[in-house]
Amino acid sequence: MSKQHNQNNLLMHLSILFAILLTLFPWPDTMAMFQPHWAALMIAYWSLYAANTRVMFVAFAYGLILDVLMGSLLGKHGMSLVALSFLVNKSAKKLRMTSFWQLLMMVLVWLFNDIVIRAVIDWISYRYQPKWYDLLPLLTAALVWPWLKYLMDRIQTTMRNS
Amino acid sequence: METLKSNQKLTQSPLFKFLILEFICMVLMIADKNNQLAQPIRNTLSLAVLPLIKIIEWPQDIYQITQLAVSRQANLIQENNQLKEQLLDAELKVQQNVSLAAENLRLRTMLSATQNSPLTTSVAFVSNINQTQNKQHVVIDQGRADGLFVGQAVLNLAGVIGQVDVLGHNFAHVILVTDTTHAIPIEILRTGMRTIAYGNGEKIWLKEIPTSGDIQVGDVLVTSGFGNRFPRGLKLAEVKSLAVSPNRTFKTAVASPFAELDRLTEVFLIWPHKIKQNDINNPTTTSVINPSALIDFDFEEQAQDNSQLQKNNQQADSETTNTDDTYNNVESNELTPEANE
Repeated sequence: MSKQHNQNNLLMHLSILFAILLTLFPWPDTMAMFQPHWAALMIAYWSLYAANTRVMFVAFAYGLILDVLMGSLLGKHGMSLVALSFLVNKSAKKLRMTSFWQLLMMVLVWLFNDIVIRAVIDWISYRYQPKWYDLLPLLTAALVWPWLKYLMDRIQTTMRNS
Repeated sequence: METLKSNQKLTQSPLFKFLILEFICMVLMIADKNNQLAQPIRNTLSLAVLPLIKIIEWPQDIYQITQLAVSRQANLIQENNQLKEQLLDAELKVQQNVSLAAENLRLRTMLSATQNSPLTTSVAFVSNINQTQNKQHVVIDQGRADGLFVGQAVLNLAGVIGQVDVLGHNFAHVILVTDTTHAIPIEILRTGMRTIAYGNGEKIWLKEIPTSGDIQVGDVLVTSGFGNRFPRGLKLAEVKSLAVSPNRTFKTAVASPFAELDRLTEVFLIWPHKIKQNDINNPTTTSVINPSALIDFDFEEQAQDNSQLQKNNQQADSETTNTDDTYNNVESNELTPEANE
């Protein structure tokens, strides 16, 4: 039991680190505009799966790491990711029962919330005017989420069976 | 049952944890925004983050090394010859500049004008990691450990790029001059008129030129040295178009920077002479240049009143006047290729 727990923990950290690497990867400009917030997707997945408040601390730590990497105000990504993790956590048990489409809509709502929090922080700190294309990542996130969930579920199942 | 019990305690409830974490984030943000109190935390975290950056940069490094290994010897020889020619060219220009710098110094002492102190520079390489921030940032591979400080001027061979915005331990984020939150005090080289240049996201935007101000398409903008962040006389941009502000109180102009900001590879960092002891830390990468000989000199004189120069030249011997003519030629020669670019 504890071995599996450890394995899951390791998988969680690896997947989030991989998500951050995807964010850092030098995409071409047009693709970078459409790029979903990978780390937020991963945090949402793990909050949903683990249904444990521990993920909130993980979200906080990786949020700070993202802040340092992106040169943003220290705590900006931390704040939005912790909020995301908390919201998912609150209704995780219910959400794991819901249909595919409902879950997808909820994920989009969480990610939208994440974008709004970051935009508000930007606005307060340096009067950033939100642009319409800030919402483009939601579109890609909607396309990516089902595959991401499927992939992570498969990895977990194979790890449990082996 | 056990989980239920632990959830009933106040300190164990998710809401409590959530609020505590958000509160910590809030405190961090305020500390970071106001007076750099969070800098130690940022330093520590940036050490932990370094492997991630290295992983991203690694494939590109490998690519460059293999490209070098595979490239033909003939190509290398050709490139070598080209570089030698460029070096000869540059050395010629430096030779001309030495006499000009001496002359400049003499004229300045006659005018009892302030001297330009030599600057300390160091070279940094731009990392190719992606930035999802709404700010226009580039990441360079030097940080606090190399003696950088927030607000330090960053330029490349073509012109000013921006200034250091956020510091990590071994890397730093440079905000570009075209960012909407960036402003830089400038002067128009042709007339010496001073104003402030703002970024507008893509280009540089002058929005506070008086309607009577003399500005034309093709004017070169150089830094004016006000505000003590950028040394005086660094090239910034060329005016591309003119307009009038909507309420007709100011003229506005759009200028495009000389430096190609979307494909930067290496940049220069500048230390003002006061903080020179910092470069003791990395003597390998630093060198002292005299801006009045290399950068500053080209623009300083033209901005000055020409008649005064003439008056002073009359006192000097005829040789000086000749050099002055050469100087003007050099000046025009130097400016044209850049205007074509």
